[in-house]
Amino acid sequence: MSFYMLCKVLFSRKVVTGLLLLQLAMTLALLLNSILLAQQTHQQLSQPTGLDLDNILLVQLKPTTASLRVYPALEDLLNRQLDAVQAIPGVIAAAYSNQSPIAQGGNNGNIFVVEQQERTNVPSVPMYFVSKDFFKVLGSQVLQGELPQHSVSLDAPGTPDVVLTQSLAQKLFGSASAPGQQVSRGRVAAVISDFYGQRSGSHVMYNNMQVAPPYGVDWGYSILLRSQPQHTTAVRQQLDSALRNVEPNIEIYNIRTLAEQHQRLYRNEYGLATLLALLSGLMLLVTMVSSYSSTHFHALKRQQEIGIKRALGASKKIIFIELLTENWLCTALGSVLGVFLALLLNHALAQVISIPALSGYLPLVAITVLLLCVTVATWYPATIATRVSPATATKAL
Amino acid sequence: MEQFIYYLKVSFKGIKRAPLPYALTIFILSVGLGVFFANATFYYQLNRDPLPHKSDKLFFPMLNLVPYECSTDCKTPSVLSYNNVEKLSQTDIPTQAAAMYSADGYLRQSTEQAPLPVSIRITQRDFFSLFDVPVLHGSIWPDNSARHEVILTKSSAEKLFGRTNVIGEKLLLDDRNVTVAAVLDTWQMLPRLYDANNQNHLSDTDDIYLPLETGYDMNYLSNTQSQTFDDTDYRQLSTQGRTGALHQLQYWVQLDTPAQQQRYWQFMANLVQDEKAAGRHPSAPNNQLVAMRNIVSYFGGESSDIKAFALVTLLFLLVCLFNASHLSLNRYLSNQYEFSLRRALGASRSQLQLQMLADVLLMAIFTIIGALITGFAGIKLMNQLLPANSLFSNWDLPLLLSLLVIAFVCSYLVTLYPSLRASFGTLNQQLKE
Amino acid sequence: MITLTNLSKIFRTELIETHALREVNLQVEEGEFAALTGPSGSGKSTLLNILGTLESFDSGDYLLDGKSINGLSDSALSKLRNEKIGFIFQGFNLIKDYSIFDNIELPLRYRGLKPAERKQRIEHALELVGLHARRHYFPSQLSGGQQQRVAIARAIAGKPRILLADEPTGNLDSLMARQVMELLEQINQQGCTILMVTHDPDQARRAGRNIQIIDGQLHDSTLYEPLSAQSA
Repeated sequence: MSFYMLCKVLFSRKVVTGLLLLQLAMTLALLLNSILLAQQTHQQLSQPTGLDLDNILLVQLKPTTASLRVYPALEDLLNRQLDAVQAIPGVIAAAYSNQSPIAQGGNNGNIFVVEQQERTNVPSVPMYFVSKDFFKVLGSQVLQGELPQHSVSLDAPGTPDVVLTQSLAQKLFGSASAPGQQVSRGRVAAVISDFYGQRSGSHVMYNNMQVAPPYGVDWGYSILLRSQPQHTTAVRQQLDSALRNVEPNIEIYNIRTLAEQHQRLYRNEYGLATLLALLSGLMLLVTMVSSYSSTHFHALKRQQEIGIKRALGASKKIIFIELLTENWLCTALGSVLGVFLALLLNHALAQVISIPALSGYLPLVAITVLLLCVTVATWYPATIATRVSPATATKAL
Repeated sequence: MEQFIYYLKVSFKGIKRAPLPYALTIFILSVGLGVFFANATFYYQLNRDPLPHKSDKLFFPMLNLVPYECSTDCKTPSVLSYNNVEKLSQTDIPTQAAAMYSADGYLRQSTEQAPLPVSIRITQRDFFSLFDVPVLHGSIWPDNSARHEVILTKSSAEKLFGRTNVIGEKLLLDDRNVTVAAVLDTWQMLPRLYDANNQNHLSDTDDIYLPLETGYDMNYLSNTQSQTFDDTDYRQLSTQGRTGALHQLQYWVQLDTPAQQQRYWQFMANLVQDEKAAGRHPSAPNNQLVAMRNIVSYFGGESSDIKAFALVTLLFLLVCLFNASHLSLNRYLSNQYEFSLRRALGASRSQLQLQMLADVLLMAIFTIIGALITGFAGIKLMNQLLPANSLFSNWDLPLLLSLLVIAFVCSYLVTLYPSLRASFGTLNQQLKE
Repeated sequence: MITLTNLSKIFRTELIETHALREVNLQVEEGEFAALTGPSGSGKSTLLNILGTLESFDSGDYLLDGKSINGLSDSALSKLRNEKIGFIFQGFNLIKDYSIFDNIELPLRYRGLKPAERKQRIEHALELVGLHARRHYFPSQLSGGQQQRVAIARAIAGKPRILLADEPTGNLDSLMARQVMELLEQINQQGCTILMVTHDPDQARRAGRNIQIIDGQLHDSTLYEPLSAQSA
């Protein structure tokens, strides 16, 4: 069957073909953009966090009575809770912190090198007020200087020493050595490896820590702990009762692994990607229905024609391939249109959400998927169509 | 009527003759419309105006009264300091005005009880009239001064006491004594436009209300956004918080007429000028007076995922419409012979059109049922995947009605073209074919 | 050329069995022009369809050019049909959205001939039926007689050994019918074997041999002697 003849047949059914083409194009456009979004979400979820996500547990909690939220009762409570958590078998280290890493936002502020504010100011850098094992829980490597060994009250004269993550130290001091230098929040004691701080910050790896009890816990606080991998589940189950045994007047907001925390952080992206993927699936289904029905009805309408062709020497295989080719051609044409449409849709979507630009091999993948679906959907009605009895069909009318 | 029932019978016969294409048409239309419905619900609810008669009269004034000199990003802070609000309140131009923020607290009747975590809106007297909040029992605070009196929502009163008329009852709010001054009737402002920073307009209403002055006295910090631009110790809210640059307040004023708005705008300009003249606020003036209607877009809080999805579901609906009309065209073409026969037997075009209408009606009914089921499932799924929007998943009457109309129109469109083709084709040719 | 031995065909529905052909034996020699006659429902068309391999049979044997077609695959049968058999139908059976040229080209395409050869054959066939000038017309633009001549052109373009015609003049007026008959005779004279179903006794007489079918059984006769030699 020649290409020319196929085109002739297709275009003799303008409306039907037009509808089919448009639909194929839209399906491809949507499919492509869904794949893009899913890819992006996957990338976001798999970008390095610098943390052992599966084996660090995070508890977010708050004392429910006002008297427990002021010093010295608060510091006493924090230490008692840490002791209790550390006593759970399988716990390697535990620490408190005014906030958790891997968060959307939280307690943050600007930081700069003293007397060089203009040049070095970095806004929205998270400030963590932590107990000294915080670094051990996160598994941080000390790259420069030494970690502070004692907790110093924020209200004491002078400010506690500051620990910076590597990226932040580089941003503030370039290649120069950071320890001993003065930044707006205090003297730099050490530089540690990067970890994921706040998504809304200047840079997710910019973090600043001070070993000190938090100013206040009006927004609650976090207890972080690292456990031996084989004990993580068991530790998790004991946390609630261990903490309540220490002090019943607390509200535990949640107990999660950092991996879960990470997933929640990208929940919206994940949700949207899932929805789009589902919709793409539905669209493929609809396209399959349409390929199916178009072949089915087309064949039904052309029974006589198929019968004539059979009489003139076309084998079942030829008829089958003709029908399939017709749909392939349609899909190919629709795909070309669809790539243009995908670019348009990509552009429109980029106005409201962040989505990478369309490029490379993706259209080919999507077109292959589409072709595959169309083929599967055409298979059955095309097989049925080949069963037309030439004797009956040529006798009609 | 008898005639119409006959038409319906004929429609049924047509379906029975080719049930698969009919079922597929319904399926495709239902899925397309259902997905569209699900997203349209969120889109409609998220973009609706909760106070249509007022949303262009309520304004959020923002100004650059901050101690720093901005060089690059001179955006006005999206929350005000206590001091800012004090200065902004020194005028009687607005019909009403209220400052507010929210905080978390624990509420109980006695220390023996387990505490109930509550969200507290810390605000001023006019809040309730600004946003048309209905009062069930008691009365709102008579002025803006500090008082240990809380106003409960109906549901928190029921949760705490098991009844609603609890005026004068004593409660412990974070272990401090307060009395109940009023209980609100069921009220939910969706979206909660008075709290649009950081997409908080998507949240549920707060559980209890506390006077602003008392909130500061009790040292409640905002649980959504607080910014300090100087050395203010945020643990000293009642003292330093009232004077320093600790920003955490939203402030809403009601300006009914354009003249009033103009005057208030002028007042803001003068205020900033005076402050600068006094040498207090080095930043360049950048006054904002944002109407409630525009507040979400001002804060950039429009739900982009729903918007993106709206675009996509619309496309999907189009595809489904194309597809369904394609299917029904095929169905009609295969019935064309019968159609022509009817015409040959003397059916007029209008009679055939009536027949078509019966078809449309039948299809619309099936489609609407299918679409509602798909839409319902879609909403449940979207609530799972995008939980931030879950408050906006309800169907109300106008929404439901417009959805029904859309479904009917779609069913009509899907049958229209094929029916025209079937009833206006040349009779002769069709019979011969 | 064609040998049928004890060939039977039964149509079955849920309720009844119909013996369309019973133990038919037939021998057709190369170059014969045979008419198949018989009342409606006697099995003429069934026989023609079986001869054209459009329909299968239940028992017996069918030798075409000395080779049995029993057990041939669909592809092999299609090839056979394409190369050796030409069809002419009562309803013309032209594909209506193909031009005259495209219609005639179809079987040649299935045979896989090169474009130049296809063109040459089509033109030759069109000249034979006298429709060369109309090769770009569509079937609906032609009269019934012209359409049937196109169908004949299509049937002979592939130079078949056998031409099967099912009431080729059934839908035509007498003038047109005569033209078509003359054309068929001309083709027969060039060596093509023709089997033609007809109701028309005149046409049957013009054929060299008359095969009558009644109730699925053959009554071969040479009723209209001496137009052609009789075969056993």
